[in-house]
Amino acid sequence: MYHLDGTDILNEPYYRKTSSICPECMKKIDAEIVEEEGEIWMKKTCNQHGEFKDKISSSAKYYKWTHYAEKDDKGNVIWQFEKNGEANPPDCPSDDRGCPYNCGLCDQHLSTCSLALIDLTNRCNFSCNFCYANVEQAGYWIEPSLEDIDRILKHFRNKPIPAPAIMFTGGEPTVRKDFPEICKMAKDNGFKEVIVATNGYGFQRKKGGAEFARKCRELGLDTLYFQFDGINNETYEKTRGIKNLMDYKMRVIENCRKAGFDSIVLVATIATGVTDIEIGNIIQFAIDNIDIVRGITFQPVSLCGRISAEEMQDLRITNADVIKEIEKQTGGKISMETSWYPLTTIVELGRLIAYLSDVEPAEFTCHPDCGFATYLAIDPETHEMVPIMEYLDPLKVINFANQMWEKVKHKEKNPIKFFENFLGDFGKTLDDGVNFLDKQQLRARFLLGVLQYARKPGKLMEMLARMLANGDWENVSSFSYGTLLLSSMHFQDAYNMDVERTKRCIVHFGVAMPDGSVWEAPFCTMNTLHRPRIEKLVAKKVTQKVRDEFDTSVGQARADLQVTTMYNGGSKVKQEEGAKK
Amino acid sequence: MTEDNVEIKDGLKIRKLTELKTSTEEELEEAMLKRVDYFKEQDSKKSGFNSTLQNTFFQTLGSILDVKIAIDKALGEENLEKIHKVIDNVLLFGL
Repeated sequence: MYHLDGTDILNEPYYRKTSSICPECMKKIDAEIVEEEGEIWMKKTCNQHGEFKDKISSSAKYYKWTHYAEKDDKGNVIWQFEKNGEANPPDCPSDDRGCPYNCGLCDQHLSTCSLALIDLTNRCNFSCNFCYANVEQAGYWIEPSLEDIDRILKHFRNKPIPAPAIMFTGGEPTVRKDFPEICKMAKDNGFKEVIVATNGYGFQRKKGGAEFARKCRELGLDTLYFQFDGINNETYEKTRGIKNLMDYKMRVIENCRKAGFDSIVLVATIATGVTDIEIGNIIQFAIDNIDIVRGITFQPVSLCGRISAEEMQDLRITNADVIKEIEKQTGGKISMETSWYPLTTIVELGRLIAYLSDVEPAEFTCHPDCGFATYLAIDPETHEMVPIMEYLDPLKVINFANQMWEKVKHKEKNPIKFFENFLGDFGKTLDDGVNFLDKQQLRARFLLGVLQYARKPGKLMEMLARMLANGDWENVSSFSYGTLLLSSMHFQDAYNMDVERTKRCIVHFGVAMPDGSVWEAPFCTMNTLHRPRIEKLVAKKVTQKVRDEFDTSVGQARADLQVTTMYNGGSKVKQEEGAKK
Repeated sequence: MTEDNVEIKDGLKIRKLTELKTSTEEELEEAMLKRVDYFKEQDSKKSGFNSTLQNTFFQTLGSILDVKIAIDKALGEENLEKIHKVIDNVLLFGL
């Protein structure tokens, strides 16, 4: 199934040089990516702190498939997963430190931002011991004002290549009372997709949760990136330190369903021996709730702090491990060799579809190691969810799209201007007509090119065809309706940081700085290197009221718990209900 | 969740995924069909002519696809690859 099968490339030992950082002193050091006994490892040595070794992939064959390029007889590259992105102009001058220190962003960055992130607060109703963003653990309070947030939103939208999607993170973003209004601000600033990374707090509240969900949806929230570690209470007790959390999680699903949401992405942090056993459970849960769950993102845990080499080997889990585990727990139906592709696979396909559909492209020009994905869609004959690769021959479709994009990409920036040159404004109208007809014939070519590789007919094909014929953002995003996107995203930490990955990051944090500027940084460098320094520049003093706001042993606001107690026997609530009658 | 597809391992409920079926597959298919109908309706609002044209096109396309898949099976992999190459070249010609 691999596109390099039948060549000697997959049998050659893998080797490349890169740069990384020392996990102890955080200084930049040289690193090597090598193959050992069927696995891929990063090896590096710090003059001061010695040698470090960390597993990058548990499958050397799969890793090599995503890294080597296929060449034709003349030596021209005809296939590779490492893509060239388009970057916005740098925000900060270059300096000697370079990547990964000179963030802001610097001129070494190779990709534009596809997903912008804003930390709305570091307040949280949970107190997960591995989390970096927590008032209690940080000792300070972070919460940008509405003006600050608007400034960051404008920063990402006003660039030559604007970010199409925004994700609000935290802490727990929904503890902010003005969260629905913030969603509206994002839509007003032109973001096509507004997402919140949440444990579900605002949506699960017994009093007002459903109303909160409805308001968020009305004001522009599209998707919940919903923390979901499994279906067993015992798992949450291990990961979040809270008992009986499944009821809480189910209230989120139900309230969002009532509010008319149709896009929840379940996000599971995968740690060996803790949540890896839940992978199959989570997939089945998503399938059972397919009317509202659009995807699952598995995130192999990132490792922070000082740990020994032995501990490292016990805890480290890679994207390849997650994909293997999915194959195992789904009885081989979602297999590593046939179903999974690096996110970068669809760069040209995405650009071509966006161009033909007249929508902003989402650029997945990250590094091939960053993430892998597959789509499941329902088979009309067997009524079973199957990887989309069973509908189409993916490698052939992508190959066709790559060739076609190479030939038409100049049209994106240089539309036909034939009549305008000698007929002025009237000629411009004629040129619009010519461009419209040109795009129609390109759509027809593309559609026929894709459909020749169809393996089975069905509604999915019809949806794809209609999307191309009537391209707008609604059609494009509704393509995912009734399908399930599975992805595995491995964020970097100080042990496995690869500067080649960092330079290509497409997920960027934005922070409103006190001097009125906006500071932008790739996700992994923010969390590994910059967070403590940057947060101290924008931190507020934490008050006792903020410290005491939540009972993190049950994940609820103390004020809400008092109301519940009164409801169960107190007189005040009864009086309120009587007054309503 | 029925009892026959659940096992208990280390005190945790584990679903046995022998088939990736959803209990809501019929509703899902219906929802997908509705979505396609929604597009049709939106198109007809924009232009009745376009809508008729497109619906005819997609219906024809569906029938052609059925025939194509039957032919693919008859042709065999080697011949199919040659034909795909020719079609690719035709579709990319002149771009």
